[in-house]
Amino acid sequence: MEPSATGDAERRPRDRAVTAGLLAGPVLWLLLFFVVPVLYVAAYSVGAVKVFPTDTGAVSLDDWRRFLAGGVYLSLFWKSIRISLTVSFVVVLLAYPVGYFLALCVKKRKYVLLLLIIAPFLTSYLLRVLAWKVILGDSGVINSFLASIHVTTPDHPVNWLLYSQFSVLLVLAYVWVPFVALPIFVSLDNLDRSLLEAAGDLGASRWRTFWRVTFPLSLPGVIAAFVFVFVPTIGEFVTPLLVGGTSGYMYGNAIQDLFTRGLDWQTGSVLAVFLLAVVAGLMVLFGRFVQVRSVAS
Amino acid sequence: MTDERQRLTTARFGRRDFVRYAGVAAGAGILAACKKAETTGTGTTGPTGATGATGSARPTIDQEPGSLSVSDWSGYGNGDYYPGKEKTFLWGKYANATGDTPQFTLFENDDAGFTKVVAGARYDVIHPCAYRFRDYVELGVMQPWDTSLIPNWSNLNPTLETFGEIDGQQYFIVEDWGFIAPLYRNDKVEPVEDSWSLLWDDRYEKRISWINTLEMLVIAGFYHQVPDPWTMTDDELAQMRDFLISKKHLVSFMWDQSYDLWLSFKRGDVWIGYSWPDTVGYATTAGMDVTYMQPKEGRISWSCGLGLFKDSANYYHAHEYADSWSDVKAAGFLEAYYYYGHANTTVDLSTLPPAIVEAFSLDDLSILEEPNSNPESWISRRDVYSQYWSEVLAG
Repeated sequence: MEPSATGDAERRPRDRAVTAGLLAGPVLWLLLFFVVPVLYVAAYSVGAVKVFPTDTGAVSLDDWRRFLAGGVYLSLFWKSIRISLTVSFVVVLLAYPVGYFLALCVKKRKYVLLLLIIAPFLTSYLLRVLAWKVILGDSGVINSFLASIHVTTPDHPVNWLLYSQFSVLLVLAYVWVPFVALPIFVSLDNLDRSLLEAAGDLGASRWRTFWRVTFPLSLPGVIAAFVFVFVPTIGEFVTPLLVGGTSGYMYGNAIQDLFTRGLDWQTGSVLAVFLLAVVAGLMVLFGRFVQVRSVAS
Repeated sequence: MTDERQRLTTARFGRRDFVRYAGVAAGAGILAACKKAETTGTGTTGPTGATGATGSARPTIDQEPGSLSVSDWSGYGNGDYYPGKEKTFLWGKYANATGDTPQFTLFENDDAGFTKVVAGARYDVIHPCAYRFRDYVELGVMQPWDTSLIPNWSNLNPTLETFGEIDGQQYFIVEDWGFIAPLYRNDKVEPVEDSWSLLWDDRYEKRISWINTLEMLVIAGFYHQVPDPWTMTDDELAQMRDFLISKKHLVSFMWDQSYDLWLSFKRGDVWIGYSWPDTVGYATTAGMDVTYMQPKEGRISWSCGLGLFKDSANYYHAHEYADSWSDVKAAGFLEAYYYYGHANTTVDLSTLPPAIVEAFSLDDLSILEEPNSNPESWISRRDVYSQYWSEVLAG
């Protein structure tokens, strides 16, 4: 039996109330713990908020002008962008074969294997990063091995393995590969296999099938994976802090230092708001390429 | 009017309305928060919400809540370095007298500790170094100690205790002291001269470690013979910043915890470091052949002490704690295990390794005075120094 128009009309306000009630919690949470703090930091960046005795409380865009005019912090930002882009490319390159293998090659127990791949996530992040210090140090696993096969000597080890941009790239790549393999796996797993069969029937080689069918169809997953790495690593500060040394110092470290020890919250706020704005812009940009629904489906 | 009311009550709550109202609410929230911050200075209350009481209005020690909150360096009582021993020697006397167990909050360096307090964190007792004492007092969060409640007060070196005296009141009980100087491995490093310049010697690229604090600007100031490195002008600071940035590529990493410096020495990653005495002690005890340099520009000497928060609800507990830290047992422990000096002058130095006593001149407190060393001073423009140091890190 078709619902009556009167019944629909009665239900609509009630549905709206239920929807509003369900949304109220998350929206309020976001407002209180995301929007308001961000606005507060934004207000601090122009001096509208006074926290420290040295704060003038006078609204001024001087810190923004100084930052945008160039100088060390903007240079550091571009350096972090370079590191993040490199990490993202490397991670996607490494994760793609993993996702491909799991989705298209493994027939049985693929989810068990997937669990094994993401198993490192179950251990402490700090522990995993610190373990690399043991591996990369002058007396670490790699240098000891190189010395044992007489490639280097104990007095002249390869000293750029640790406390360098290389170590930051390496550790970030290691940390993110399992995470990035997931969206690629999902994208490939949902691939319509008949398309691959059709390509084969039409005489396409496996390589041609991959480039003309598999890869284009998995692009949303690849782009999503790229974003998943790129966005958080721009503001990364823990890994550079532990293994980066002076040359691996990143934009996130500058924000942390300005807030926690520099007592220069205004400059720190400028850096933080700028980073947020760039990330938001990138999300909008990537959003044009990534259809979340297409990845999810 | 009725129609208007009806229109308002029955109006659909559209997305634009929602965004508009949310914006108004957020704005009101921010304004309220700003107002509160202006009113209270920090917008927070003390750890127990208590206000400072004086004289007869003050509760007795039995009426105090206990659980003394202490903000301190890692390994100064929380058991990070010597589990068990720290409690026994540093606050065992306190525990015996009060039955209380202090609650520790750690800071990695003085700047981080002070930042937390400025941002609103409150404790009963804090343990900063002398160059920070005045900042705390000027922030208006400290109260002077009643030294008559500290039986060990008479055993403390009066010269050192003058560092804790601000505006005629004893705001800090100075306890520990030490040096800052270059440390290097004799088997790997041959300094051209005894100078801070070893910290930027081109021959030892990536074998050097600096500390991650603005004291590096001061060190550079001493090296460049700036008239007063503790009160540098903007031009001088800019020169030191540019100099340090130009030398930063030589540095492997900058340490936050002195134990990290020791570990990197131990692993062999680092041969030269900006060092406190503890690293020298660990290296010497481990049999490592090291030299703790006496640079021609002079070592820097430091001292740190306990401060009492104005709003502390544990006034008498805090004094017991300060007395425990001032005791000869605490002093002996600090000198034997951390290789730091202590303000208590009754320690039997014959119980300590002679090499340690000699290396740090524990038997000669004049070593803390100019020209024997450069005592760390309060930096009135510390926020400006901080900005320049942040630029060194980012540069």
